[in-house]
Amino acid sequence: MAAVNPSRRGGRVVPNAILIVAAFFFLAPLVAIARFGFQNVPTVLLGWSSLFKKWTWDGITGAFHNRNFGPALRLSLKLAVGTVFGTIGLLLPTAVWVHLKLPKARGLVEFMTVLPYMVPGIALVAGIKVIQPHARWFLNSPYSLIPYYVVLALPFTYRSIDAGLRSIDLRTLVDASRSLGAGWGTTLRRVLMPNLRTSIVSATFLTVAVVLGEYTIANLLLRHTLPVFQGTYRADSPRGAYALSVLVLLGTTALFALLTVLTRRRVPKLSNLTDATATAVVPVSSGGPE
Amino acid sequence: MGLLPFFGFLLLFLLVPAISVFQEALHNTDGSFGWRSMKDAFTGQNLDAFKFSVEFSAFAAFVGVVFGTLLAYAAATATRPRWLRNLVASFSGVAANMGGIVLAFAFIALIGPQGIATKALKFFGWNMYGGSWKLGSVSGVTMVYSYFNIPLMVLITLPAIDGLRPAWREACTNLGGTTFTYWRRVGFPVLLPSLLGGFMLLFANSFSAYATASILTDSTRIVALRLGFYLGGDVNVGQDAIGFALAAWMIVITAFAMIVYWVLRKKAERWQQ
Repeated sequence: MAAVNPSRRGGRVVPNAILIVAAFFFLAPLVAIARFGFQNVPTVLLGWSSLFKKWTWDGITGAFHNRNFGPALRLSLKLAVGTVFGTIGLLLPTAVWVHLKLPKARGLVEFMTVLPYMVPGIALVAGIKVIQPHARWFLNSPYSLIPYYVVLALPFTYRSIDAGLRSIDLRTLVDASRSLGAGWGTTLRRVLMPNLRTSIVSATFLTVAVVLGEYTIANLLLRHTLPVFQGTYRADSPRGAYALSVLVLLGTTALFALLTVLTRRRVPKLSNLTDATATAVVPVSSGGPE
Repeated sequence: MGLLPFFGFLLLFLLVPAISVFQEALHNTDGSFGWRSMKDAFTGQNLDAFKFSVEFSAFAAFVGVVFGTLLAYAAATATRPRWLRNLVASFSGVAANMGGIVLAFAFIALIGPQGIATKALKFFGWNMYGGSWKLGSVSGVTMVYSYFNIPLMVLITLPAIDGLRPAWREACTNLGGTTFTYWRRVGFPVLLPSLLGGFMLLFANSFSAYATASILTDSTRIVALRLGFYLGGDVNVGQDAIGFALAAWMIVITAFAMIVYWVLRKKAERWQQ
């Protein structure tokens, strides 16, 4: 790699140590929460002899049988689907428009997409509380969270779609499609979306992850979403809440893997797009490899 | 104009709530227009909370910058195994978004009073909870925030480190420069905007985090939690302008950090084509 003198002796000792410590730091909490969620042994009694004993699903089944779980899960899934469609529906045409017609506005639009970072979630709640009396018809519905979640995920999702658009020959594709008689809608759906599937997949994944993890707004606006359920259920059964958290993490990861596999199968050769995954998950970093 | 739906959406669901906060904050307790509440929210206990939160967030950001840069450098310079760099980049993308209550749960399971690391350390003779230390104390919360701050910093510095051209190193050596000269005169100045920009972003990130903090501690010295108490107590419009003034100051501080971040990011991108 750049700027490293390969002849330096022992130069890898420190970097390798950093990598190992980092691996430990990032994996240990996940291992710990999984153990807590799925093993019915109090930490006090945990030792070599009890390490493989009493692993159980009853934490998670207990959570499933709680009567608040079903509605919370359904609400969160609906919010996730709504937010995904809202995000793609809003961002894809916008990003295409910027790339084709207004390349000069790219900086401005990019700046707009980091605006959500300027308003902390908790301050956004304060703002929503001010608006609430004036827009009850809208804010009384739990689905009114959807547009706010679209905004919340914006810094991540826009980057991934923007990275995707940079990696394809947008103008040629659009010109070809248009000259064959396709309208804008058809061009978006049948030409651009298939070409952008990698970045749409990662935008979807990021959106779902945001929705299934958002606690602040939902909790303070008293919406009983899955993360809010996890928070309150912990008082009843810590093990159940922890097991559920692990399951949600695994679920989102599995969804990402599934979407990646499903969208890749149709066109096996996508050499110029495969790189976009790495770039696409990068939310706010300054421009990935181009 | 194709951008109208996008701008309209942001206006309606981000800017209008943000502006409403300021509108409410700029009221005196008797309901008339004025700076009274804004001043009250920045004096006494509230001011202490702001000082504490700013210091704490700066500390958390500093920790994230140092370790994030080290990790990015270690990953970027690793030649074997080949997949390592991509793994670090992809995992960082995921972990940078990990926050909220699940992260707090995970760390409670690890180093809470009943955590497995607590137990393991006790076995080696180090009792974490022997003194007054808590997971909700500054070092504890900083460690938890590092779980998303470090990966975020990795995402920022990886492209910056990639931007360091081997030719610069060679040029420096040819001109008689040592490794130290190279880093002092070339490497560090090129990375500096990314490092400072990362610091501002991590600062804003730590300063505005609410969910994780709310599980770890109930300290009212963290402004986000303080605001949460105001909002949880069913704020009535006009009656409790102080709460909105807290929110307004939070927006001012994070917005400032993000604007500095944006300017530095544009500077950093110069070397990253």
